[in-house]
Amino acid sequence: MKSRESVVSAHHNYLVNQMLAPGFLIGNPVSKDEFYFLADVVLPGESEPKICSRLYDAHGGFILEMEAREIVQNPSGCLRQPFPGGYRIVTPSGESLLNVQTESFANGFLTRIQGKLYDQGGKLRIEPYYDAIQVHGEVGLWLKEPFRKK
Amino acid sequence: MKTKQSRDWEGVWVFGDYRNYFQNRVTLQLIAKGRQLARDLGTEVTVLVLGSQIHQYAMEYTAHGADAIMVVDHPNLKNYQVETYVRVVSQLVQNFRPEILLAGATAFGREFFPRLAKRMNTGLSADCVALEIDGSKRLLIQTTPAFGGDLLADIITPEHRPQMATVHPGVFEERIHDHEARARILYPEVDVQAEERVQLIRSKPDQSRKGGLEDADVVVVGGKGLGSKENFQMLFELARLLGGEVGATRPVILSGWAEENRLLGQTGKSVKPKLLITAGTSGAVQYTTGIQGAETIIAINRDPHAPILKMADLGLVGDAKTVLSLLLEKLRKRL
Repeated sequence: MKSRESVVSAHHNYLVNQMLAPGFLIGNPVSKDEFYFLADVVLPGESEPKICSRLYDAHGGFILEMEAREIVQNPSGCLRQPFPGGYRIVTPSGESLLNVQTESFANGFLTRIQGKLYDQGGKLRIEPYYDAIQVHGEVGLWLKEPFRKK
Repeated sequence: MKTKQSRDWEGVWVFGDYRNYFQNRVTLQLIAKGRQLARDLGTEVTVLVLGSQIHQYAMEYTAHGADAIMVVDHPNLKNYQVETYVRVVSQLVQNFRPEILLAGATAFGREFFPRLAKRMNTGLSADCVALEIDGSKRLLIQTTPAFGGDLLADIITPEHRPQMATVHPGVFEERIHDHEARARILYPEVDVQAEERVQLIRSKPDQSRKGGLEDADVVVVGGKGLGSKENFQMLFELARLLGGEVGATRPVILSGWAEENRLLGQTGKSVKPKLLITAGTSGAVQYTTGIQGAETIIAINRDPHAPILKMADLGLVGDAKTVLSLLLEKLRKRL
């Protein structure tokens, strides 16, 4: 019998590929001009998800770069709209690019991400799947501890 | 399943019975015990969770000491259907081969586990009050009341696997919540086709189970030795004066002196009050398994050889009705 396996945290997890995971990384966060998506480990005492990413459109055009709670590069003029339990990134035309929502349990948190994300070559890397996301290709790194750039 | 190579079977599994989560915490208690048994065997405790949108339980069981969580999350498992559950779990057991499989002796476990044991062609000890490992033979010693509760039997399953047991809520202590804990999580690809010979139309919580008996600091319990329903009614005044709740033994329930939701013991509730007063109860094992978590027990019985007096911190030998009348008289004056 086949089975998929990861690690689960008692405190906070992301739902990706219909699996719980404390954190994951797709793409290359070190490069200055490549797609990456980092859902970083949230430690006990914290409750907000830590999403860092460099996003491109379906034609490989650069859209924005975000770190934790803010957009740091934003040539396309996207907006970060907070709402109770999360936030969404929307284009100037109002199209939702990324939706991040955290559900609180009695003693823990679960973050669901939704969005259709492309890399610098216009290749689809992440797409919505039920109430979360499905990663196309391999997840680069499953994180058990907070990510540190080397 | 008969096996000559019992070492092919490894690991302790606990069935995640989260549907009764707020009424009893037996799954968390079994994780704590399962972890101890697993350590004795040099293996892991895995919690098996079936249902739909059950992520929070996987996290909760991680926090309470599970080494691994096995999740089957599917819309077909949203409602409990015993045939579907048995079929899914038997596939998992045949494939992963756990040597021990535990579940709470809840209404759910009592229906589900016997069917699973039959499907697996193995033994099942119901309503266990203790579990230990015989390290030399790698066997689970399952202690359960036998012969009407007159004795405790140690049962082993030497030739079949898995070794299966249900355990009454409150027998074991759960571990404290550790929010830094991590566990392996597995998502097996199992056939979850529902078998719906029975269809669930709707469900609603049983409001009569909202009583605070399990959470009360003071519990007064009456047995058949009180002699009549009128005498049993004295317990309600005593409970009111002490700020407690009333419990009852099986013979009292069968006599119609109290509602079934007050039943304590092997087939009823388990309580852990600071003070428990038990009047007119002999001390049958079926009853005492439900009160062994009480901090202080005061027992009243006219028979100086009654087993309950050996278990009690303070034993009063006398007629229960007379002692209760005197106690009530004193309390009414004081309070």
